[in-house]
This record gives sequence, C-alpha cells and structure tokens, in this order.
Amino acid sequence: MTIMEATKKQSRGDKPTEPLVFEKHVPGAIGVDFPPLDVSETKVPEHIAGGCTTLPSFGQHDVMAHYTHLSDRNFSVDGNFYPLGSCTMKHNPRINEWGAALPGFACLHPLQDEEDIQGALRLLYETRTMLEEIAGLHEVSLQPAAGAHGEFTALKVIRAYFADHGQPSRSVVLAADTAHGTNPASCTMCGASVETVRSVNGQTDLAHLKEVIAHVGAENIAAFMITNPSTAGLFDANIKKIADIVHEAGAKLYLDGANMNAMLGRVRPGDFGADAMHYNTHKTFSTPHGGGGPGSGPIAVTAELAPYLPVPQIMMADDGSFYLDRDREKSIGKVRSFIGQFGVLVRCWAYISACGPKGLRNVSDTAVLNANYLAARLCEKYSMPFFDPKNGKFCAHEFVTVPQDLLDKGVTLIDIAKRMIDYGVHPPTMHWPMHDCLMVEPTETESKQALDSFVDVMLQIADEISSEIELVQQSPLESDISRADEVAAARKPVLAFK
Amino acid sequence: MDYTQLNTVQRQEMFDTIGIQSIDELFDVIPAEIRCEDGLDLMPALSELELQRAMAEMASHNRGAHDMPCFMGCGAYDHFYPALIDQLISRGEFLTSYTPYQAEASQGSLQAFFEFQTQIARLTGLDIANASLYDGATAVAEAALLSTNSTRRKEVLVASTMHPEYIAVLRTVLSDVDITITMLDATDGTIAPSTVEANMSDAVAGVIVQSPNIWGQIEDWDGCFTEAHKVPKTACIAVFNPIACGMLKTPGECGADIAVGEGQPLGNALNLGGPYLGLLAAKEAYTRKMPGRLVGMTTDEDGRRVFCLTLQTREQHIRGAKATSNVCTNQGLMAMRASMFMTTLGSDGIKEMATQSWHKAHYLASEISKLDGWKIKYDGPFFNEFTVDCPGEVTKVVDFCKSKGVLPGVAAAGRRMQGLSTKNELIIAVTEKRTKHEMDALVAILREVSV
Repeated sequence: MTIMEATKKQSRGDKPTEPLVFEKHVPGAIGVDFPPLDVSETKVPEHIAGGCTTLPSFGQHDVMAHYTHLSDRNFSVDGNFYPLGSCTMKHNPRINEWGAALPGFACLHPLQDEEDIQGALRLLYETRTMLEEIAGLHEVSLQPAAGAHGEFTALKVIRAYFADHGQPSRSVVLAADTAHGTNPASCTMCGASVETVRSVNGQTDLAHLKEVIAHVGAENIAAFMITNPSTAGLFDANIKKIADIVHEAGAKLYLDGANMNAMLGRVRPGDFGADAMHYNTHKTFSTPHGGGGPGSGPIAVTAELAPYLPVPQIMMADDGSFYLDRDREKSIGKVRSFIGQFGVLVRCWAYISACGPKGLRNVSDTAVLNANYLAARLCEKYSMPFFDPKNGKFCAHEFVTVPQDLLDKGVTLIDIAKRMIDYGVHPPTMHWPMHDCLMVEPTETESKQALDSFVDVMLQIADEISSEIELVQQSPLESDISRADEVAAARKPVLAFK
Repeated sequence: MDYTQLNTVQRQEMFDTIGIQSIDELFDVIPAEIRCEDGLDLMPALSELELQRAMAEMASHNRGAHDMPCFMGCGAYDHFYPALIDQLISRGEFLTSYTPYQAEASQGSLQAFFEFQTQIARLTGLDIANASLYDGATAVAEAALLSTNSTRRKEVLVASTMHPEYIAVLRTVLSDVDITITMLDATDGTIAPSTVEANMSDAVAGVIVQSPNIWGQIEDWDGCFTEAHKVPKTACIAVFNPIACGMLKTPGECGADIAVGEGQPLGNALNLGGPYLGLLAAKEAYTRKMPGRLVGMTTDEDGRRVFCLTLQTREQHIRGAKATSNVCTNQGLMAMRASMFMTTLGSDGIKEMATQSWHKAHYLASEISKLDGWKIKYDGPFFNEFTVDCPGEVTKVVDFCKSKGVLPGVAAAGRRMQGLSTKNELIIAVTEKRTKHEMDALVAILREVSV
C-alpha cells in the first residue's frame, strides 16, 4: 500500500486525518522570526529561571496548512444550513468584522484615559441607548461577557435591590421547567435556590405559578425567570398576567432574552412587565459564534434596579463627551475585568445601525415567517405538538417537532440528526426543551431556496426511514468521521495529548 | 440593510403555504396592549458605505497603541502577533460555527480546542486545561469556586498584590455564596511565605497568588505554596502571565494545583479590554469539577482518533442548578487565536518574546533609575513590568508623555485601578515590540518632565 492510500484509508472521503500539532513538531523550525535584541542583556537569576520547553513548532506554510485542513472539517453558517434552535445562527455580516478590526478600535488599551478614546466610548454609549430602546427598559449595562454572565449579573442586581430594601430573605428564584440550563446554574452562583414552574403546551402554567408562589411564600421570592418566546418557540399570550402575578408577590420578572430575535420592534420586554433581561449579542445581533464564543450579554433593567448595575457604566456628560462612571454607590461591583467585550459590541453596534428600526422589525418578521413556513411544510411528516395554523396556532422564530411516527419505525432522534449531517445540514437542537424533540430555528437570513432545500432533506430522510432505514441508522455515512464514542470519552477522559 | 433575502413574490408564496394573508397574523398572539405599534426610536438604517464612514470616523477619534508607543500593561499587553492569525481566524468555518456539540460536523474546532488545552497544560506545567473562560478576572473567580467546591471549605486567601480588578470581580462573585475572602498583606510589594503560614487553617480552600503581580514583581510561588500545602488538600492557585511561562518557572514547577490567567497576550489584540480569554489549567484530580467546556480524545465507530466535548454532565445544560459553573459560552475564537499563536511560535518563539521583554524592561528600568528623582519602587525581581516612584504628580507625567506621543504606563492611583494606591506610582510594561529608540525617547521625555 502506498503512503497516499494509507492516509486516505484513515478517513472518509478524500480527506486524510490531520495530525495534531504535537505530532508535526520539527525541531529548529519556526513559524515566525524576531528582530535581533537591541539592548544589553540582563542576567536572569537562577532561582526564577525555567519555563515551558514542550510546545511544538514547525514552518509557517505548514501552520497555514494545518488550520486550513481543520477548517475544512467544520460546519458553519457560512457553509451550511445551521438551524440550531435557541442559538440563532444567522448570517454574520463582514462589515462588522471590518469595523472591529480598525486599529482605532483594536489597538486601544483598556486603561487609557477617557479623553483619548472618545470615539470608542461614543460607540459604547450609543450601543447602550439602542439596547435600552429595543428592551423598553430604563438602563443597560454592557459589562457581562455572555448571556449566562448576564443572568448572573442581573440576578445579583435584583438580590442587591432587595437587600437594600430590607428584604434579604428573597433568595428563591422561580424558573420554567423549559428554562435554559444556565438559568438555575446562574441562581446557584448567586446563592439563590431554584423552584421550578411547570409549563403546559409550551407556556407557563399560571395555576402552578400561583401554587409555587404560595408554597414558597411570596416574601421569599426574588424573581421569576422566563424565556419569551418560550424555548418551545411560542410567545406566551399570558405574559402580562404572569408579570402581574410576579409583581403582586413583590418579586421581579426576569426575561431570558435568548429569543429576542422573534420580537424586535414588535414588542418590548419592558412593555410586557419585565424588570430585567439579558441579551445575547451573538444570537440576536449577529456577532459571530466563533465555535463557542466570544459572546456578550448586556443586561437591561428598570429604573429602580439601575442603581445596582455593575461598574463601570458608560455615560454622556453635559458637554456631550463620554466617560466611565466607576463610582456608583449601590453597584454590585465589577463582574468582569476592564470594560466588557468591546470588540463584540462594535459588531453589535454595526448590526443594529445597518438594520435601523424598520430593518430590525423585518428581521423578526422574517425570522418568524421562515420558521412558520418550514413548520407548515414539514408538519405532515414531522409531528409538531404546538403548531396548528388552521386554528391560528403559529410558532415564533423556532418550532419543536417530536417525530414520533418516524421514531416508532425504529430510528432514534440521533439517527435522524446524524443523517442530516450527510446532507450538509447541521442538526437542530435535540432533546430540549422536550424529550425526543428537534428544535428548529432557521433565522431570517436564509433564502427561500435554502429553506426549500432543507425541507427536501427532511422529507428525504423521512422517506429513507420507510424505505432504507439502515441508511439512517448507520449515518453519518458521508461525514469526515463516523459517530464519535462520547461514552468512552467521558468514562476515561483524555483532555491533553501526552 | 437587514440581511434578509426574501422578495415579495416569495413572501406571498410562503404566506399561502402557511395559510395567512399577512405577516401580522403570526403576531396576533401578542396582546394588543403591549405591542410596539409606533416602532423603535432608533437612527435610520445606514448602508454599508455609510457604516464604513461612521466607524472609521469614530475610530479616528481614538489614540492608542497604533499611533503611540505603548508602555501600558496591568493585565493587557501590546505584544506582537503574526499576521497569519488574523487571516486564519477570519475563515468562516471557524468564525461562524457554533459550540461543537455535534462531533461529526465539528472536528476542526474540536481538534483545535484539544490542541489549545494541551498547549495550555504544557505551558503551565499542569495536567489539563479547559477550552477557555471569559477573561483573567472571571477565571480567578472560577478557580476560587473550584477550590471551595473540591474541598467543601469556605475561605480563600488572596494576595493583595493581585490585579485589583481580579480582586474586585472575585469579591462580587463570592459575595452571595458564603465564602470568606482573607487578604494577604504584602511586604515590599510581594507576599511573604510567612504571611501565608500565618493565615493558614483547615478552613482554607485555596490560596491565590499572582506572579508577576500588579506591581510587576515576581512572587515566591514556591514558598507560598509550600506553606499552603502544609494543610492537606488546599488548592494552590497561581495566577500567571502566559508569556512569562516562556522563561520563568511555570506554575506547575512551583507547586501550583490550579493555574489561571489572562490569555490576551497570546495573539489577541488589546481591543479596549475585550474580547479576551480566561485560561484555566489544573492537576488531573480536578477533572470532574472543572468549570467550562472540555474537549476529549476518543474514537469513532471505525476506530479513528476523533474529538468531542466531554464530561458535559458537569455543565449547566445537563446539570442545571448543580452544575460546576453557569458558564456556557466560552471564548472559543480567542482560544483558537491563542492556539494558532502558540503553534506558530512554539516554545522557542515564546521564549524569545519573554526574553526580549525581560531584557528590554530591565534596560528601561535601569535607564529610568539613573534619572534624578526617579526611583524603581521595589528591589525584587520583575519580568516585563515594573513600578516607578515619580518625582511629581503621576497624572501630569502621563499627560506630558502623551503630549509627546507616548503612553508611558498605568498610574496606580485612582478609581480606574480600584484605589490600588494613592501615591505617584507609574507601572511600566515593556514588551518585545518596544525598541531601544522608543525607550530612549521615553527616558528623554521623563527627564524633561522632571525639570
């Protein structure tokens, strides 16, 4: 067997397996060089000298080749339909990248004097006010680094508010049974305990909400964390009633803003009674997900909660200049170093500015239209518990299917998902928020052709389950690798190359 | 432009398929009294050309490391990184992918993150690392929680010489979870092992010491951690600078159990403070308590070596309130940049950067110490950053230097540094990027300011 045949055999298709950088090390080879030292040397005392000597290196061309080969093994929004529910995998405009990379933004040190960074501070201030308007809330903090960090920060703000108002016992947070896992985890980080509120048909069960409040005791409740539209992709028609119930209990309504893409310019969280919320700029405002970050999780709160927001806060002075307020007496303090995810917020500013008010509304209108179109075309083969357009039951920007008929034929949900990979489609969110469900969020930036192709793929897979079920059961058949053994990975974790 | 793609005809076809007359029907579920009927009060949309102009205009109102030699540090450094990083990281396959939950569609990201984890483990001299956290400050807080969760103890000892913002974030994070912070006082700008000894008890979960510390001084990790380890199971947490690991003893060599730090120096731009990345490495014993995403090596059904996210039962999306942390999003793209940086430089390149920074910082310190009235504040060893006592008001020094086109360092006094000091101290950082010419110019300016 030739070398070429041998490497080919290691992989599916034509791609050889990419060795790890540690296996490519060429002693003495370098990827980049340095100018000679231009000052005299100072001896390093022996008791502190040491250092890592085991990082591999090789030539620059092979560095390029390595990462180009790796990039070839990734699905992405640029290259694939990526309908991951609740993650809002929309197009990432490159003008945003262009702006963030301008040296006048990228080369600023976070501890510089405010007078030297007025342009950057203006951008932050404008982002702050735009997000306040979109939320319909009094004040936004740009400090949190991601959505979960925003939850944590806002819960701290709410707890600080109650502590300051003589109600430190309010340490229980209610969360929907369909909440993102970050909701309860953020509560724990804030020293709050969590009580679960049931959902019925993907919406909050009002009776159960009242029951839980009575059971826990209204005086012990800090907040109810709700995602609206819910994680099942449904706008909660009772949202105003829910807000009233929560407020009657003296607690705050927290909106998990993960699904803001369904509401822009249609309804504002502040107008339906939310007291605090977070955004995920990497969902709603097109900042790239980057394989898992960076995100940014600005929070918006009512006037009564605003004094407790983290420092620093971006402000405009009477003379129109911008500054960072670091002296807020009641602030919960700092939640992240320096002044937040600035580079991400540049992209966020660019996106909101590109869309404008009408464009943002069209973003949500189109996101909701696309989701309903897919649901309408797929609901015959993929049963949908909440979607019934003939009776006026639509979805928001995403929908849930529990394809029981197909599962009953002898495939698992994972089989279906992995078969989608064969067709170049990234699988939707699975098994969440319900068991055996797929949650599909197409976003507004997909073309009708892309939506129709996705429908073709899904119907083809449904046909295959009837006619050639092994194809689905054995999938993925076309991807770089067959199914990864995740059980073995967790049983005996190998987290570093030895 | 809102980046949607449907034309009127297509919209009508879609309405027909759904069985609606207008888009408004899809929003009927929203009660009329809460609808946003008047539209949002925002500036009208800008075209791409206008966006380019507007952003270029705002950027032009900023002065920074792009147009002034930058001697500022304190947690963010103006280091060199190769041009190929910006090029590679812009590949849409990396930029526009999500967290690699689907291993079969994400081997590229997964392998890169696995390589990152291994590189960070090696750089720190520890066994494992996660796939990144938000930044250095939140990484310190996560490390503190890792120590308390692992030991069920309720106190952490924290070096008062740590970055004041890291201390501030740590205070915020620990304020509602019944964990006590005990500050370790400094002696001559560092923490004496005897101070650790004096504060140790079996209530202490972790001891956190940063080196080089906020003054630039190299701490005695060895000595401090030896004292801390006299109480079994105490987690010794080293807050490190990744570039320093190129030439100074690594956290692992000094007995650390956990190492955390700011990863910005590894190939990430200054970005006015973010996005950066938090680094977290640890001994293997902490594997199942680690916060954040972890990539593991495994095999596929055909026996190929492949990678997948692992130990997800620690994480919030499975474990909810009992998760090891609420962190979900990490700093994937920044971690990938850091990994590309380490791959391009290797140990030799990082050592070169570290060594050049060392020699240049020592050259500049020596030249400044020759100036009348200027004094290097501490006698202990430093790496690429040092503190000087200015002969006059530090803000005036900074302003004068800026008027001459140099960012001379960070003033230790004031709210920006969380009240670190009230004295006229300037903290000066020197990376490999600074030239002898720039340093000599700074010295000349300082000479001028003092007369």
